Amino acid sequence: MGSIELVCPAGSPAMLRAAIEAGADSVYCGLRDDTNARNFPGLNFSPQELSDSVAWAHRHGARVLLAVNTFAQAGGSDRWRRSLDAAAASGADAVIVADLGVLAYAREAWPHLRLHLSVQAAAGSPEAIAFYAQAYGVKRVVLPRVLSVEEIAALMREIEVETEAFVFGGLCVMAEGRCALSSYAAGRSPNLCGVCSPPEAVSYSEEEDALVSRLAGFAMDRYAPGDPAGYPTLCKGRFEARGVLSYLFEDPVSLNAMSLLGGLKRAGVTAVKIEGRQRGKAYVARVAAAFRAAIDAIDRGESPDAYEHLLTDLAEGGRETTGAYRKRWR
Amino acid sequence: MSGWRRRSKSDGRGRGERLAVTVLMTLRHPPERMLTAALRALGRRRPEVFERLGVANDVDLVVAPSDFPVAFRLRPGHGAGRVEVERHDAARPSAARITGPLATLIGLFDGACDADAAFFARRIRITGDTQAVVALHNTLEAAELTTADLLPLPDPLRRWTGALLSAGLARLRAREG
Repeated sequence: MGSIELVCPAGSPAMLRAAIEAGADSVYCGLRDDTNARNFPGLNFSPQELSDSVAWAHRHGARVLLAVNTFAQAGGSDRWRRSLDAAAASGADAVIVADLGVLAYAREAWPHLRLHLSVQAAAGSPEAIAFYAQAYGVKRVVLPRVLSVEEIAALMREIEVETEAFVFGGLCVMAEGRCALSSYAAGRSPNLCGVCSPPEAVSYSEEEDALVSRLAGFAMDRYAPGDPAGYPTLCKGRFEARGVLSYLFEDPVSLNAMSLLGGLKRAGVTAVKIEGRQRGKAYVARVAAAFRAAIDAIDRGESPDAYEHLLTDLAEGGRETTGAYRKRWR
Repeated sequence: MSGWRRRSKSDGRGRGERLAVTVLMTLRHPPERMLTAALRALGRRRPEVFERLGVANDVDLVVAPSDFPVAFRLRPGHGAGRVEVERHDAARPSAARITGPLATLIGLFDGACDADAAFFARRIRITGDTQAVVALHNTLEAAELTTADLLPLPDPLRRWTGALLSAGLARLRAREG
């Protein structure tokens, strides 16, 4: 059994280099527009930066995957076609796509461009995955973050494409590609605009010694002095319902499935993925180095336990979860 | 309210700290000229940095070190902007304010610190226009600047000075934990 591939995020060429120098096998990134699901101001790559970064990565033995993983908008699909053209021109090793029309264009215009199915497509059944593989030649599926390790193992026995599983970083609690919470509150969503809780709608204020986070004017949480803070999203907001104050949908925790790497490898998962293109060089260098060490330990037949708690301070809310992989998650 | 200002009014060190503010405000013009010259030199040397910054070019951002007597007001201005020194309690409006220990703020400038982790742990605070702060953070992350870029020096001297400053700051941050 070969080693599991470590796929790390890059929000800039500098972050891409930091990830690869720290041990990433592959890096994923996006162009500076709404064709990718991390469309934040100041983030991402120009087409020229993408070409230069692909050349740099290849010289260092790493691969670059370009995310073109938002859903094309009626009357504006030229941007998605241009992003795929830029990927092909740059020599990127694969594109990560969710939209059927974008997949169809990629298959037709760039038949040799490797296609990965984004988590945004939420394809979690053998039938759905087989459809994408047969219709568009998809070679790898990024698995939805709602499957347990056992479910992934069962799925792997029924599909013929590679799989990639998220193992670290911010956690989407909703069925990806289907969530409209951000649109409801702030008018823009990751699905169409590439941004969940757009920063122009986010504010923080200090009120009576507490820090209050808001999204589009709606209070999302209130942090007492010294409490870990978070970025305000509706799915991780703290609300009062029937007189009880709680995180109605999900606690503000981050995924860390390092302890499950061995199980994912045995299940047949090809690659593991780190979330966090918006986090920066210091983050990706630490996370990539820790997961590199854990994967190498597993390859030597050793336990990765020594590395599991190295990253807790990077987690949102300062707390970690194994998410749906162990199905203890609410 | 900044930690510096709170401390200066509430404990025995108040008089010394008020004196430091007065001295630094009186002598603010040379550092203002130096920092503004460094900003504009960066604009000439690395125009792509300001292109990435986008909408945050045209707003005032206040960087307020909680353990330093004065704050810094930055207007990027597409690489032709300015830096001003001001009191922590200056009444001038700004788009956003970033507050935290000086060593952490410099760590965010040169990419040594993870901004999100610093924010989650409440080591830094932001108020005002989150979009401008996010743009500034992402731009600094991509730019790979060093503390030497805060100095308008010719290239070899800038690199050597930067290496010395970075080593000193790394020690300081390690001591702060």
